[in-house]
Amino acid sequence: MSIIFNEIKNELLDEKCYHIEHPTGLNIYVFPKPGYAGAYAVFGTNYGSIDTKILTADGTLADIPEGTAHFLEHKLFESEDLDAFARYAKTGASANAYTSFDTTCYLFSCTGDFNESLKILLDFVQSPYFTEQTVAKEQGIIGQEITMYKDVPDWEVLFNLLRALYHSHPVRIDIAGTVESIAEITAQTLYDCYNNFYNLNNMVLAVAGNVDIDEIIKICDEMLKPCGEFNFVRKPHEEPENIVQDYIEEKLSVSAPIFSLGFKESYGLPKRNLKQKIAADVLLELLAGTTSELYNSLLEQGLINTSFGFEQFTGFGYGATIFNGESKDPEETAKQIKAAIKAMRENGINAEDFERTRRKLYGRTVMSFNDIDEIANDLVGAHFDKVGVFEDIDIFRSLTVKDVEEVLGSTMREEYCALSVINPIE
Amino acid sequence: MNYSFALSSPVNGLNICSVDTKSNFKVAIITANFALPLGKDAAVNALIPGLLKRTCRKYPTLTEMNKHLASLYGAMVAAGVSKDGESQVITLRVTALEDRFSLSDEKISEKAAELLLDLIFDPNLTDGKFNEADVEREKRLMIEQIESELNDKRYYALKRCTEIMCENEVYALSRSGEIEDIKAVTPESVTEAWKNMLKSAKVYFGITGSMNAESISEQIKEKFSSIDRSALATLRTEFVVSAEEPRKVREELPVKQGKLVMGMRAGMTDCEDNYVAIKVMCDIFGGGVYSKLFNNVREKMSLCYYCSAAFNRAKGLIMVQSGIENENELKATDAILQQLEDIRNGSFTDDEFESSIKGLTNLIYGVGDTPEGLDRWYSGQMLDSEIMTPEEYAKLISAVTREQVIAAAQNVTLDTVYMLAGTDTQDDEE
Repeated sequence: MSIIFNEIKNELLDEKCYHIEHPTGLNIYVFPKPGYAGAYAVFGTNYGSIDTKILTADGTLADIPEGTAHFLEHKLFESEDLDAFARYAKTGASANAYTSFDTTCYLFSCTGDFNESLKILLDFVQSPYFTEQTVAKEQGIIGQEITMYKDVPDWEVLFNLLRALYHSHPVRIDIAGTVESIAEITAQTLYDCYNNFYNLNNMVLAVAGNVDIDEIIKICDEMLKPCGEFNFVRKPHEEPENIVQDYIEEKLSVSAPIFSLGFKESYGLPKRNLKQKIAADVLLELLAGTTSELYNSLLEQGLINTSFGFEQFTGFGYGATIFNGESKDPEETAKQIKAAIKAMRENGINAEDFERTRRKLYGRTVMSFNDIDEIANDLVGAHFDKVGVFEDIDIFRSLTVKDVEEVLGSTMREEYCALSVINPIE
Repeated sequence: MNYSFALSSPVNGLNICSVDTKSNFKVAIITANFALPLGKDAAVNALIPGLLKRTCRKYPTLTEMNKHLASLYGAMVAAGVSKDGESQVITLRVTALEDRFSLSDEKISEKAAELLLDLIFDPNLTDGKFNEADVEREKRLMIEQIESELNDKRYYALKRCTEIMCENEVYALSRSGEIEDIKAVTPESVTEAWKNMLKSAKVYFGITGSMNAESISEQIKEKFSSIDRSALATLRTEFVVSAEEPRKVREELPVKQGKLVMGMRAGMTDCEDNYVAIKVMCDIFGGGVYSKLFNNVREKMSLCYYCSAAFNRAKGLIMVQSGIENENELKATDAILQQLEDIRNGSFTDDEFESSIKGLTNLIYGVGDTPEGLDRWYSGQMLDSEIMTPEEYAKLISAVTREQVIAAAQNVTLDTVYMLAGTDTQDDEE
């Protein structure tokens, strides 16, 4: 067995990271933090709620119920004897898992007994055990999780927006599915999805903290089970460029209206590249960050409050620029945001503002190399996005006004914009 | 332990805790906490941190302030108000990049410390008062923030249960006071409250990072030199050792999931009383995924997605929370009480007991792995008589015995069962 082993260094941060291509096909990243007491490990697969089809034995694609990735995440913790939580309880590690639009990740953090906890992680994620009984039991628990989110206005306002922007891309469906869709899930569904997506060639392990790289490789050699070829290819969904509707509204028990204004974006590629992402972050900060005219004017007019925020929402085959918050007048707020975008397109970007914003976001990026949980999760994201570990730091150092202006020219187009509002129940 | 800490008290009622993190981290944090008695001034006090945070004499507009922060590599100012028992704590905190990561050899930490002190001691005043427009803006933001607590049903239910349970205690007051009182605040009254805070609050400064803490301490001391600190406010918290007959309160909102909160008295006479054993007991009851509430109410009975118990040491309360279907209220309440009863009777396994000790100590040993963790750890002890390191606390946790856990559970009494019932339970799918 040969192991490909790379050391990746960053002088400025005074940090290094190891990338290992394990013979089983698993990519492993180890980010040592020698002064720390603890360690954090994430084992993830490139499979999330947007993957609604699996490859069957005869080579055709079959639909799976909405919410299966998340359901599988819950059930993987169980095994024939002791479940994973009970095993972690013996090492003292604190374990969890999460499912997003395009990944499912299992993680733990600990300050002692790291090797034993890592073995548990690698073992349970590679040992599916589902029965009709345990699936039925989980339908009650996840049913309550779904119901809980129906009462969370920030969650509802986002998914309503996605349903207004997207015709058919599965980003418009709830990550956990619906009470009805999860009722269709059987033990066999879970096995089928597991076999389709939980292939080491489709997975990554990232560890950060006070760890010994040789020990980690030794444990991986011992625990990783060779798996078959990985043949599934995630394909972009057919999704028209236009939106479904430009306004969507729901009434919930809230104190004031909550809005989410989204611009549907298309990049020509399934995923936006890192440089464009960073340029778009700088752009949004310039447009609506706390130093911007827009932000201060909306605040002074009483149209927004401290809940105001914005984000680039991107993943495989989808992308949106989103502004959100609470406002007594969402339509007026949306109008002023659109006007500010137009003004910026006409007036261009001030060099001094650009420099200050670049510095701010550079500082925040350096800060993100502080916490082992953030480091390990970012390593997983970077791997699936096929970008280098310290690439963002390098991009910040070379970013120019022109890069940001290019993004400004191609995003936040008014004709692809929708407003989602949650109004109070009278 | 890869950091060291030092404590000094250069001014009456002022403690400075400096935590030298060597070169472990990318950021430095400087925190200032001011503790005042929770009471009639809660609303006016609650406006202070927002006013101090957003501008100061040197940077009198939002834009100027934010530009300065951006030029300090995205330094962040956080401001807030919280309750620590029956004290109201006003916090201002600056988080900044460590000097060695600046692109042109700047002393970011010194500038960050200077900024924090400017915010606290040198605000943007006109004729000796805060500006009317600034005060009105803060009032609006605070009122909207309080009103929006309704949006987070889990938090809202917890707050309502606490208000009802402690209705005859000061603790029922919200950390930011009442909306009516906020409306009544004037530039004069909030200026007076700010001056009173500097004079009479118990003050804590935490300096966490690799910068020169001594020179920052000197600057803090210097700032206080012109302030009369001879009459400090008295801080105390009333403890109700045990509840009388439990009472049940049911309220309704148009939501889909019901929220159950069970408020309990932990049996304490003050915040030092048996708290380590209670911490472990509460963790076995409803802490991590190894706890009784998680394994029985969620995993075995499938009643909910979350069911947990939180220990409020500063007030001697244990609050159990769960999100359930309305019709499962009784079933869930009984199941939760049964778990407590089991601990009282000693029916918990050695595994459950040891898992809890291990889980808790693991978290505590991890405190030193983030500057935020260290900052929170030490500032969280500002009202305690003695300051403990995470390692010292972990030792106390490890020394707790099964018998102490059983005894602690026997002292817990149920005070209030609060159910926020959902009235929007119809299936609304098209």
